[in-house]
Amino acid sequence: MLSRSAERLYWLARYLERTENTARLIKVTMNLIYDLPYGTEVGWHNLLTICGVETAFNDCGKSPNEQNITHFLVADQNNSNSLLSSLAFARENIRTSRELMPDEAWEQVNEMYLYAINNLDNLSNRRGRVVFLQEILRGCQRFTGFIAGAMSRNDSHRFICVGRNIERADMTTRIMDFGTVLLAENRSLIAREYEGILWLNVLKSLNASLMFRKQGRQGMQGKDVLSFLLGNPDFPSSVNYCLQEIAYCIAGLPNSTALLEPLNALDRALLAFKMDETTPLQLHEILDGLQIDFNTLHSHIAQTWFFNNLTE
Amino acid sequence: MATSTIWANYQADKAYDEMINSQGNARSLCSTLAQYLQTLNTDALKGRRSAAEAAILEMGITFTVYSEKGNIDRAWPFDIIPRLIEFQEWKKIEAGLTQRLKALNCFINDVYNEQSIIKDGLLPADLIESSSNFRRECIGMRPKFGSWANICGSDLVRAGNGEMYVLEDNLRVPSGVSYMMENRAITKRVFPELLQNLNVMPVDAYPAQLFEMLTSLAPNPDSHPQIAVLTPGIYNSAYFEHAFLAQRMGATLVEGNDLVVKEDDCVYMRTIKGLEKVDVIYRRIDDLFLDPEVFHKDSVLGVKGLMRAWKAGNVALANAPGAGVADDKVIYAYVPQMIKYYLNEEPILPNVPTYLCSDPEQLAYVLAHLPELVVKPANESGGYGMLVGPHASKKDIQQFHKLIQDNPRNYIAQPTLALSTCPTLCDDHLEARHIDLRPFILQGEHSFVTAGGLTRVALRAGSLIVNSSQGGGSKDTWIIHTEQ
Repeated sequence: MLSRSAERLYWLARYLERTENTARLIKVTMNLIYDLPYGTEVGWHNLLTICGVETAFNDCGKSPNEQNITHFLVADQNNSNSLLSSLAFARENIRTSRELMPDEAWEQVNEMYLYAINNLDNLSNRRGRVVFLQEILRGCQRFTGFIAGAMSRNDSHRFICVGRNIERADMTTRIMDFGTVLLAENRSLIAREYEGILWLNVLKSLNASLMFRKQGRQGMQGKDVLSFLLGNPDFPSSVNYCLQEIAYCIAGLPNSTALLEPLNALDRALLAFKMDETTPLQLHEILDGLQIDFNTLHSHIAQTWFFNNLTE
Repeated sequence: MATSTIWANYQADKAYDEMINSQGNARSLCSTLAQYLQTLNTDALKGRRSAAEAAILEMGITFTVYSEKGNIDRAWPFDIIPRLIEFQEWKKIEAGLTQRLKALNCFINDVYNEQSIIKDGLLPADLIESSSNFRRECIGMRPKFGSWANICGSDLVRAGNGEMYVLEDNLRVPSGVSYMMENRAITKRVFPELLQNLNVMPVDAYPAQLFEMLTSLAPNPDSHPQIAVLTPGIYNSAYFEHAFLAQRMGATLVEGNDLVVKEDDCVYMRTIKGLEKVDVIYRRIDDLFLDPEVFHKDSVLGVKGLMRAWKAGNVALANAPGAGVADDKVIYAYVPQMIKYYLNEEPILPNVPTYLCSDPEQLAYVLAHLPELVVKPANESGGYGMLVGPHASKKDIQQFHKLIQDNPRNYIAQPTLALSTCPTLCDDHLEARHIDLRPFILQGEHSFVTAGGLTRVALRAGSLIVNSSQGGGSKDTWIIHTEQ
């Protein structure tokens, strides 16, 4: 498999995962905001933080209301992290990797992109926005389902899987980081009153609410939610699970020895973590550290397999 | 035919029409199709067209157009009304195309080796020396099976007398075959009931045949050779096709900088495992960009040392470098003689009569008859740099008068053929539009011809220019078995 192709598939998967995450995050936030009384510290601006685009949004000088923030996160092509940008990058990557995937994979992404650019007008009202996001989510799920059923577990699939899980783990830590705000000692009375609903929505933004309940024993306690998202070995969006997937795929790739150390470091970081003994501030630092570790892992992957870093 | 509004004012009397005869009735081959179209009203027909357009967008069938605003991916222009050819006629065309490519390959092999056709006085030596596609670097090479042009796209036209002529042979990097296959895929969505009821030959065999042909070229064909399709990259107008063919063959799609030639004169590609040897390259890059060591020094598309590797016999290139020497409209005029000379056979398919401006007598005739002739530069493709006399302004004709006089070797002229027409959906009714046909011929260890080819259609009324880069469209081509 060409190094160039490996890089494209890896990014294809990351961008599609980002597209899906952004769509779900906005959908869940819309539902949450309808439940909360006016004046809570939780609001649309949190989405900017979670997506890491707070500065970029502030730079464009628009007031941080629902309309402007959702437009920025979904449709703004100047925001390279927007849903539409991610989808366009995904499409460009799969368009240039067509010889590695069944036709339907390309058609799925292409159709989703065409839907998005043809329906941007729907985003201006809430009802249209729900339909739009739902369609994008379905498109991403169709793609994932198709790949699951029609693609050999070969190197191409491994790079897709690695890309998807790095992006996913990164998003999980970002959402958890938002959770540290909800645990803060100085949180408002409203936040305390609505704690259950807030944590439920944290779970929903990762499709995790049912699976969290199913593992038994607990109610909707913040610390339990965070432990689940970090360490649960079975749930696909937990950081632990994503890292297992990454390690499994990387083990199947050639020349992977250089990756063993950064993967082990991540494992150790997870094992050492004890929720009960951690303050919200410490948790924030730990999550920051994890995100840096993901970046390091990405650099190692790029150096080992990707095109730009090859020397003759 | 005037009963249905979609046929209102259909004029099929200006040229040979593929579907309607001079009495205004459907030809027997097309009767089922014509009757079927009769049952569709304007809205139904428009509905089918919308379905085709939607399919093209979803499937992402595009070609790239260069413009001042950058490169734009355009949706593939497709007309839903198919063009039909009878199987027995097709068998003859197929034999003619196979014969023709065999002779052309004999010629190329001869030109780079013995040059007996020149020594025997059939072809003037200076025609070769002055050909811009003759590559001195290839002298003495003998690719496997004597086959230099492994993939050929020949353009066929049907003239007013109903006979098929070969208009030109594209031996460099002909494109269009992916669109031939995609056109059928679209038609299956748009007219499934018709394809069911008529015995239409399938077109999907091509990628497997191409793969087999490329395999046969490998230095060691029995060891599962590594086959790569070399593309100039995503900004090339035919990138869609390069990716399509690589995908259908299960080959690797590479760009120049994915490949490297090492000291052992072998070609390797940069993979996640390190360097892997490549045995056969289906290159979609012009000769002059292939290897900066030998040709254009500043080419970033090619691979340094590729010619070294090819000459050492460590990699097969298809088409072989230098094959374009036979893709010259002056050389074209000699193909019927080549067939007799190399194969000792009579040409099955005729050439269009061609005046060579390099010959003083013919030059005089051409200059005196420009308003009725088509003038073409010897080495252009894509329909560029042509003069269509009957459609040209006085100024254009004066300009070509001078161009030809300045460089007679670079021009040929042909009578303006009344290319055959085919019903084409224009707005909400059918109109006759001129068409040609580009079948694709393979030659490696064996020969193969596509079942039909890509029918191109000039979408503007009266126009004879069918190239997609210049406002042409395309049609699905049906080779039909009429016997039960």
